[in-house]
Amino acid sequence: MRNLFLLGALCLLTTVLHAQTPTRFTLQGRAVDTLNNALPSSTVMLLSPKDSSMVNFGRTDDKGAFTFKNLRAGSYILKVTFVGYIPYNALIKNGDEAVLDLGGLKLKPITRELMEVVVRTAKAPLTIKGDTIEYNAASFKVPPGSTVEDLLRKLPGVQIDQDGNIRAQGQAVNKVTVDGKQFFGSDPKLATKNLQADAITKVQVFNDKTEQAKLTGIDDGKKEKTVNLQLKDEFKKGGFGKLTAGAGPASNNVSTRYDVRGNYNKFDSKRQLSAVLLGNNTNQGGLSWNDYQDFRGSNSFNWNDDADFGFSGSGRYITFGDDNESLSIPISGGDNRGFTRNLAGGVNYNYDTKKTKLSTSYFFNQTIQDLATLRKQDRSLPGATQLITRDSSIQLNRNANHRISLRFEKQLDTMQTLVVISNGRVGIGNTNLASFQRINQSISKSPEQLYSTSNTTNGTQANQFALANTALYRLKFKKKGRSFAASATYQLTNNDADLLLKSRNDFYQATTVNDMFRNLRNLNQDQNTSLLSNQYKANLLYVEPFAKKFYWETFYNFSLRFDEVERGVFNLDDSRRRVDSLSLYYKNNYTYNRLGSSVRYSYKGLNLSAGLAGQSFVLDGKYNRDRSQELIPIRRTYNTLIPNIGLNYDLKNNKYLYGSYTVGVQIPSSRDLQPVRTITNPLYVTTGNPNLLPGLNKEVQVGFSYFNPGSFINFWSNVFTSWNDNQIVYGQSVDTETLITTTSPENISGGRSTGGYLNFGFPLKKTKATLNLNGQFSAGRSFTPIRQTRLVGGVTEVVPGTDILNQTQNQNINGGARLELTPKDWITFYGNANVNITNARYSVNVGQNQTIYTYTYRGDLNLKFPKDIYLNTTFNYRSYINDQLGFRQQVPILNTSLYHIIGKAKRAEVRLSAYDLLNRNVFVSQYNGQNYIQTESIQTLARHFLLSFTYNMRGVTAKMRRQDFY
Amino acid sequence: MYRLLIGLLLLSLPSLVMAQKTEGVVEYRRITHWSKIYTRMTYLSQEQKDRIMLRSKNWEEDNKGEKMKLLFTPTQSLYTYSGDASESEDAGYSWRQSELIMTRNFEKERQMDIMEMLGKVYIVDDSLRTPTWKIGNQIKEVAGYICMKAETTDPIKNQTITAWFAQDIPVSAGPERVSGLPGLILELDLNDGDVEIIAQSVTLRPVTAEELKLPKTKGKKITEADYNAMVKKKIAESIAAHENPYWSIRY
Repeated sequence: MRNLFLLGALCLLTTVLHAQTPTRFTLQGRAVDTLNNALPSSTVMLLSPKDSSMVNFGRTDDKGAFTFKNLRAGSYILKVTFVGYIPYNALIKNGDEAVLDLGGLKLKPITRELMEVVVRTAKAPLTIKGDTIEYNAASFKVPPGSTVEDLLRKLPGVQIDQDGNIRAQGQAVNKVTVDGKQFFGSDPKLATKNLQADAITKVQVFNDKTEQAKLTGIDDGKKEKTVNLQLKDEFKKGGFGKLTAGAGPASNNVSTRYDVRGNYNKFDSKRQLSAVLLGNNTNQGGLSWNDYQDFRGSNSFNWNDDADFGFSGSGRYITFGDDNESLSIPISGGDNRGFTRNLAGGVNYNYDTKKTKLSTSYFFNQTIQDLATLRKQDRSLPGATQLITRDSSIQLNRNANHRISLRFEKQLDTMQTLVVISNGRVGIGNTNLASFQRINQSISKSPEQLYSTSNTTNGTQANQFALANTALYRLKFKKKGRSFAASATYQLTNNDADLLLKSRNDFYQATTVNDMFRNLRNLNQDQNTSLLSNQYKANLLYVEPFAKKFYWETFYNFSLRFDEVERGVFNLDDSRRRVDSLSLYYKNNYTYNRLGSSVRYSYKGLNLSAGLAGQSFVLDGKYNRDRSQELIPIRRTYNTLIPNIGLNYDLKNNKYLYGSYTVGVQIPSSRDLQPVRTITNPLYVTTGNPNLLPGLNKEVQVGFSYFNPGSFINFWSNVFTSWNDNQIVYGQSVDTETLITTTSPENISGGRSTGGYLNFGFPLKKTKATLNLNGQFSAGRSFTPIRQTRLVGGVTEVVPGTDILNQTQNQNINGGARLELTPKDWITFYGNANVNITNARYSVNVGQNQTIYTYTYRGDLNLKFPKDIYLNTTFNYRSYINDQLGFRQQVPILNTSLYHIIGKAKRAEVRLSAYDLLNRNVFVSQYNGQNYIQTESIQTLARHFLLSFTYNMRGVTAKMRRQDFY
Repeated sequence: MYRLLIGLLLLSLPSLVMAQKTEGVVEYRRITHWSKIYTRMTYLSQEQKDRIMLRSKNWEEDNKGEKMKLLFTPTQSLYTYSGDASESEDAGYSWRQSELIMTRNFEKERQMDIMEMLGKVYIVDDSLRTPTWKIGNQIKEVAGYICMKAETTDPIKNQTITAWFAQDIPVSAGPERVSGLPGLILELDLNDGDVEIIAQSVTLRPVTAEELKLPKTKGKKITEADYNAMVKKKIAESIAAHENPYWSIRY
């Protein structure tokens, strides 16, 4: 097209030229220096005077001569260049002559100083525009913090005297402009002394007309030497912010709703300061991923911060059974359970230079959640026995956290990097729970019979402090691929928790009256737990390349952890007498060593690795009911060999194949190892097992993905199978008279799981309609030891014939379809349908085999009306069915919001939102595990309205499209 | 256009010294600044663009790009990946490079590019096309050579192209699909710094015909016009689908 146009233009031009001077001509000349010496091999170009586009080029011969023959008549710019000389430019216009000889064309040398300093040393481009000489100052090396004056001193042809007066090419500079504008009045020193050199991208020195001449428009012939400083684009400081405030009336038995969120961000090329604040009582959650990125900026994501080296890829380290809240800033979508109030805010500061990167942040978040829950659990026991537990509870959780973080990265030199990371958290949490539980029993589907009830109030108060400091050092070598890394970590955790447990328990079928039940009838306890844990870690990694395509990788991990736990249970009805049977004191030292090695083949997209690690885990502890008593030692050593295989294969045409064999090790948590009973729910007692071994999970997985960017077709799939050795499983002992369940961890081998995933997406009509189909299946078996026990003469014994190993077989199939319609700018629709079927079979009681159905349908319609008015409507329909439990629940949720983007700059928005117009909201979940099925319904914030206003400095954009990633 | 005229031009034969300066290999680094490219995506809001820019700032600074090389003689050139371009900087992980070999024959006025794009290997075989260059007034040093600035535009991708060509290597070759200047192109800047291709070293040595030979590659043969139409269509489609087209076509 363009070529055609050019051809046309040229034809036209040619015709015009032909009309004037219908002849062609020859242009010749000679490139010489100022002493008339020939400049051989100079580049000679003919440009169009209109736009400097090149029409022809050639080189001079060894006498410096050039000839262009058969040139179309017309005018040209002749440009002759030679290294080290100022390019010769001249406008050529031929008359009637057939040969135009320009004779010797003198090229002036560029001063050696300019050439050497500006071009060679500073590697700065040099622009010659008539009398303007322009340097790119960006690459002039001046120490950080230097002023423009220091920079100018470095420039050839510029002198600065003691008083800061500037002279350029011998003339005094009376004017310094910044981006062409006068800087702080007329004193040129103000600019040069105050501006930072690293803010400048270009320095231009030229002769400007005097102010007088500019004002009058009459050129008085006087020229002022002027220096113009051009600011770097990115140095121009920026700031942006957003504020949304919304409120809604009290209605529907809920109080006034509000949702306020705001953030502000200020940045320049090195620094970034951001603040965020949000509060709501609309179940809208805390920071979203987008908020998080705006908050953390350049430090949102850091690769290579994992200090616990291991097999590259999967199976990096070891998992401990800790359940502490994370140290990193939490990102939470809307938790649509119950009634949630959220408050969060923080400040983040980043300072990044090429060699040093610093990021610090403070973040506070608080969640207050009201949960009113109805729960039903159906548990299968030997002898066609069913245990039906109904539980209604009211719970108020309050959880507040202060987090601080620091990350410092320093490039020591081109080979060495140091990263220091420090994260800390102070957490305060309290929970108030009131619950009423009933346990019924039914044998062979006989009518249910009430066995036990429990009326419990729990009040928990917990204070936590956690700190983790890591230093990570990486060293590269001259030999490509050889590298070394070392890291050290110190972690401290201090938890103090206090639980006030008040419980009234009734046992309707108990005939044997004994101490245990008597003690359980009325509980009024104060349970104190304090934990102090110190952990020290050190890790080494060395990679050595060999035979070009191979890498030999060796790592060593060392960890030493000291735990001290004191748990005291006091009977408040008995003048705070310590209940020894429930109290515990222990000190555990864990020593962990792992040495591993792997060989990796890596070439042109095929990455294959195989490795083996040996690990030793030593638990050296002592415990007793009370720290004043003599402590009983407990010592365990676990040695394990861990193989690891990984495959990543990048195939032609966007096909990708991957696979792995990994072994994961689950170390028993210290709670699981202590042979002590813990009661928070009197009908469900937990106790530890000192003989517990680490669990091993072995997994093979293979996956394949394909994407065709031409047709927009994509396909992903994977299959996995995993099996467990010594899996840590919680065995159940159920008392036949009270139905109190006591769980204790045990090691069971033989649990298995197999599954697969498939996704296929394709356009029905390119860019307008896309359909996505996905399917998922999994099947597995797990084992649970189940016993029925009774008390005989004060001793618990297993009822003969009831000590069985239940095998649960689970099958799950999930199928879904997603439709995206984006036919026009003013209408988009997203719909999806999903069916999930779970089948569970229990060997302990075949009659209890269950099928659970969950159907989800969702439609999301966006409409754009004239005058910047938009409408978004979503309809979400979920249906939960379990016929065995007689459970059926349908939850249709209709949300809609109408919004108007205001103003020419489109920075503001007014929005009216209605949530759950049908007033049907309730949070439902179905779960099956071990030998039970459970359904749960939580009363949840239903119909409410919100009128909100948004101001965004960067402009408000209507969300017509889903933009999940970009 | 000057292509039509080039035959009419009387070239003084280069001296012996010059002959040595017309064959060799250039090693380039090609750095793609994704966050800059994203700022050109019309479907993203200013907020999204700023987010991308700020969060990827440190990665952009560490972006060492990929290594490319250009073999050149006075009459031919071949541009492709350099040796270990498909390995991560600190080694240990390699990926597959999509097929990419670009050849120019200035004597026969032919160009042949093997390119994998949109999930297929294409062989673009056509007569040599060179853009209309505007010659600027700047000089700077690249890899030890004093280069002049030249500019043109790519009407298909709607990009400005800035090239810096060596004054004293009289070869019309260049990296990517760009050529046709009085000297060898040592630096290329696509769309005001979105992608930079900068020579790291120039080695002058004889280049054998073997080195310039195209490997046998299966692919669909298309013309330059077909290629342009395909790129144009993909860009339009991707923008309509709110996707960055340059994930699947070369910038």
